[in-house]
Amino acid sequence: MPTQEAPVKIRVNNLTKRFGDLTVLNGINFTIKKGELLAIVGPTGCGKTTFLNCLSKLMPATEGEILIDGEEANPRKHNISYVFQEPTCLPWRTVRENVAYGMEIKRIPKRECEERANQIMDLVGLSSCADLYPNQVSASMMQRIAVSRAFAVNPDLLLMDEPYGQLDVKLRYYLEDELVNLWRKLGSTVLFVTHNIEEAVYVAERILVLTNKPTSIKAEIIVDLPRPRNLIDPRFVDLRKQVTELIRWW
Amino acid sequence: MAYKEVEVKQPLMLTILPYVSIIAFFALWELVVQTGFIPDTLLAAPSTVVKTFIVKLHDINPDGATMGTHAWTSIQEAFLGYALSLLIGIPLGLCMGWFKVVEGLCRPIFELIRPIPPIAWIPLTVFWFGIGLTGKVFIIWIAGIVPCVINSWVGVRMTNPTLIQMARTYGASDWQIFTQLCIPSALPMVFGALQLALTYCWTNLVGAELLAADSGLGYLITMGGRVARPDIVVLGMICVGVSGAIIGFVIDQVEKKLLAGIRR
Repeated sequence: MPTQEAPVKIRVNNLTKRFGDLTVLNGINFTIKKGELLAIVGPTGCGKTTFLNCLSKLMPATEGEILIDGEEANPRKHNISYVFQEPTCLPWRTVRENVAYGMEIKRIPKRECEERANQIMDLVGLSSCADLYPNQVSASMMQRIAVSRAFAVNPDLLLMDEPYGQLDVKLRYYLEDELVNLWRKLGSTVLFVTHNIEEAVYVAERILVLTNKPTSIKAEIIVDLPRPRNLIDPRFVDLRKQVTELIRWW
Repeated sequence: MAYKEVEVKQPLMLTILPYVSIIAFFALWELVVQTGFIPDTLLAAPSTVVKTFIVKLHDINPDGATMGTHAWTSIQEAFLGYALSLLIGIPLGLCMGWFKVVEGLCRPIFELIRPIPPIAWIPLTVFWFGIGLTGKVFIIWIAGIVPCVINSWVGVRMTNPTLIQMARTYGASDWQIFTQLCIPSALPMVFGALQLALTYCWTNLVGAELLAADSGLGYLITMGGRVARPDIVVLGMICVGVSGAIIGFVIDQVEKKLLAGIRR
């Protein structure tokens, strides 16, 4: 597990986004350490998706900067992965080809692509359906494909936008375990956005709580529970309550 | 986890229904003509049409060419026009969907030309190309290019924006997104265009052959009308219909093979 002394990987300085008169993000500052799994929770409509779109450079920020290893973030140069809320499989590619898609764009040699795709598909249990098309697998499988594709490029920063929001509870627990497992094995730096407090406490090492619009960071909570985490451990419940309180108090 | 192809058995009823409807249609048709409900000077019975078809295979009377010549002429014209409309229309439509410059340049002209019926081009076509093959191909080309452009354009426009965002976060270039995402996701619409353009081309064949022709299925139909032979008219119509349906079926099969992951 990454240590407290790991170097800073991502530094966000004064990130601000305005749409005309509407300020959505208001001077957000934070850092993510290398190999850290950071969760961001906030009320519905607080601009979480805008926040991710700015971080991934899909949308230009009005002010502020996002630095990866001290350099301005650039999707062409850095490996940024983004797992969207809805499944984003390419229906004309098989599962294997979908997992390799990000690596193909990054022009990673074919051999290495195959090896890495196989390794990750083994980890998440996609190997048995590697040659099927996305419309032949279930919805949870599709989201797994997107997660695998995101991890496969060895991302400098992996952004996840409520990836498991649409799945039932049992599957969600299962996929959260799988996510933690992948993250620990591959040591990626992950930013996980969710509105599910329990999910945040379960997967993250640190949680940032956002305020309502104009959004800024309200609090930071360190989750130093051992893994695998137990949902009914009193300390777990405590932390969960703590985050819930923060969200309730506007 | 085991994934298996599941074969869905269709009820026998649904399998035979299309054949039943076709047989019933022709039987009814034969009946109304044979019983004299509709006089045979107005409509030829299917049996008469079959007889005429067999005769026309080697007899050039009364219209000056055998069935084979007519069919070959039409196929040549229709396919040249069809191929040209696909070749120009599809790439143009795809580019219009993705590149704003191409859309800005081509769309106004296209919208202006689109509502003009292809047959309205006949006089100009005669001025430009005379009465040979070129003129007819031009009319058919005009007819076929419209659905090609529209469908390809809409197909690209309908690309799921989240897929485009996904590719952008991996650092894909505009060209990569166009070729790897937009074109494949437009393919179902493009195959729709193949079918539509075929219909447009094939139906405008008769129009194109109004241009002083001396053979072709459209010509056969107009000649049949001129010499008051309903059997020849119907024969020409059925040939156009059947060959169109066959080509449509072939395109459908190719589509099913190619678009395995998209439509199943």
